[in-house]
This record gives sequence, structure tokens and C-alpha cells, in this order.
Amino acid sequence: MSDTTKLPSDIGGEHAGPVDTLDHGMRHWERQANAFRSVVQMTKLTCTDELRRAAEELGSRYKDMEYFEITTSAMRTVLLEKGVFTEQELQAKMAEVRARFNVPDEMESPVKKGASMVQK
Amino acid sequence: MTNPTHDYYARSHHDHDHAHDHDHDDHKVPNPANEHDNGPPGEYEIMSRAMQELLEQKGLITAEQVAKRMEQFDEEFPYRGAQIVARAWTDPAYKQRLLDDGRAACAEAGVMLEAERLIAVENTPAVHNVIVCTLCSCYPRSLLGMPPTWYKSRNYRSRVVFEPRTVLREFGTVLPDSVTVRVHDSNADMRYLVVPMRPAGTDGWSIERLAGLISRDMLVGVTVPKLPA
Repeated sequence: MSDTTKLPSDIGGEHAGPVDTLDHGMRHWERQANAFRSVVQMTKLTCTDELRRAAEELGSRYKDMEYFEITTSAMRTVLLEKGVFTEQELQAKMAEVRARFNVPDEMESPVKKGASMVQK
Repeated sequence: MTNPTHDYYARSHHDHDHAHDHDHDDHKVPNPANEHDNGPPGEYEIMSRAMQELLEQKGLITAEQVAKRMEQFDEEFPYRGAQIVARAWTDPAYKQRLLDDGRAACAEAGVMLEAERLIAVENTPAVHNVIVCTLCSCYPRSLLGMPPTWYKSRNYRSRVVFEPRTVLREFGTVLPDSVTVRVHDSNADMRYLVVPMRPAGTDGWSIERLAGLISRDMLVGVTVPKLPA
């Protein structure tokens, strides 16, 4: 990587709009994702630096993703790399969780924006 | 994006009051996997729950650990920073220890920090301090709870490093030109805490009463404590 290449997260010093100073709080799933990440780090299965590297590798997708979408995507990448679970296991478990929510199908479901799956 | 039924701070304040009236041991900890937001789940929500369940099945973590952590982020962590700063306001020797070695001073108060270093920076009549993490959202979570939405926002992270006075005005904080503004960029190994100036007219106040003047925003440095009018 050349010295002039900025990572997608390296935004300090850029021009941007006014700050929305209201705290919008966290949705339930974000609280789960945050606590889950914290517990996984306590077990030493991964660490902040590994998760940050995986987040930075999102490249151009980074700016369109919400904060906990980025952290969740990074967690998936790192745990797959370490062989904690396989892609097949994750897909099967996600299908199980999705069915529990009674969401008919990934492609047809009215999922929120930016919710397309990240494929390596 | 705002979901009033899951407002983080509304919920945490309620639970915090509640927590003083009951023995925590017989608190029934809800399983996070059984709660959900309104509306259909996003793909990342499904992914996050699926990963948690896979790790539970493999015996690497438990649902109770995750539930406990959620509870701590709601009920404990957001209130510690104000206690530590209020103690520093009343105890000059403690304040000096906090400024010398934030991590050790927090440990002394029973707070174990996740990062290697905590650097407490003191506001004075001549210097005002502000904290940011331009790269992500490094933040003293064990002292302040989860960072607010704006701390993680692109606009705050991009701008506060080069036009802090303008950003502070957006928070309603207007500093005289004579005050030097220092912006501190955090990272994973090094977190900051602003020690605001103790307001005049609070002589003899207890730590608890002083802590009531201190908000999270003041400890990040975007606002300053004032006596209620």
C-alpha cells in the first residue's frame, strides 16, 4: 500500500456536515451485537486489532454500512478465518434464526437498507 | 432510526434507579436472544444472533455472559466516569493520581479498564479538551458506557479535529478565543477522559451531589458543567 492510500475509516480532517448532537440510542440488536463482541473479546478468541483490520478491508462498502453492521461483518470475517465456524454452519444457523423471525426469504424479505450479505 | 421503546439512555436510567432497590442476585436476566426490535430483522441482526448461537453451541460463550454484559453496559458503565471525576473534584491528591495514571486511579476506584492506558486531561481557565476517535469509536466504555450516536458519526469524526470551536458551538458550547482547545484522538490502546472544571458555588458538596452535575458529554468535552439556573 502506498503512503497516499487512505483507509476507508481514515476520515479525520475531511469536510462534512453539521453534527447531529442528539443521541439516537441503540436498537436492541445493536445492544446484542455490542455485548456479543465484548464477550468474544473477553474469551480471547479475537481482539480489537483483528476486528479493525477486517473492518478496514471492507473498502468502498464501509461508508454505506452502519456502525454495528461493520462490526458484525468484521466479526464474521475473523471467526471464519480462524475456523471457529464454517460458512456452511453460519448459513445454516442464519436460516434457522431467519425462520424464527418468520421472514420468508432473504431476497424477498423487506429487510432494511444496506442489508445485503457481504460475500468474501 | 430512533426507536423510543428501545431508547438506550431512557432504559438505562430506569434500570439504574431500579437496581438500587433490589438484590441483583435474584434479578432475572433476560436472554437477549428472546428479545427483538420492532419491524423485520436486518441481515446483520440475523448474522449476529446466528454467530452468538453458534459460539454457545460450541461451548465458547454462554447466553448468560452476553445478557450480563448488556446489563452492565446499561446499568453500570455509564455512571462510573461521573463518580470518578466528582471524587477528583473533592480530593486533590486523587485528582493528581488520576492525571498521572488514569488506569491506576480507576483501578483504585474498582474500575478495571479494557485499554492499556487512560489519559485524563484537565480543563482549566486557559485550556479546554475534547475527545474523538477519528478512525472508529475508541471510547472509555467502562467509564461512560456506549458512545452516543454522534461520537461515531462521520461528521463529528471528520470535523472536530480541524474546526473544534465550530463543532462545539453545534453542541451549544461557546469558548472564549483566549481558551486553547486541544483535541485528543483516541485509539484502541489509549483512551481519554476529560476532567471538567468544578463549577463555582459547589463548596462543601458531596461526591454524589457533584456527580449529579456531570454528564457524559462533559467528560468527552463537548459541553461544560454549570450550576442549574
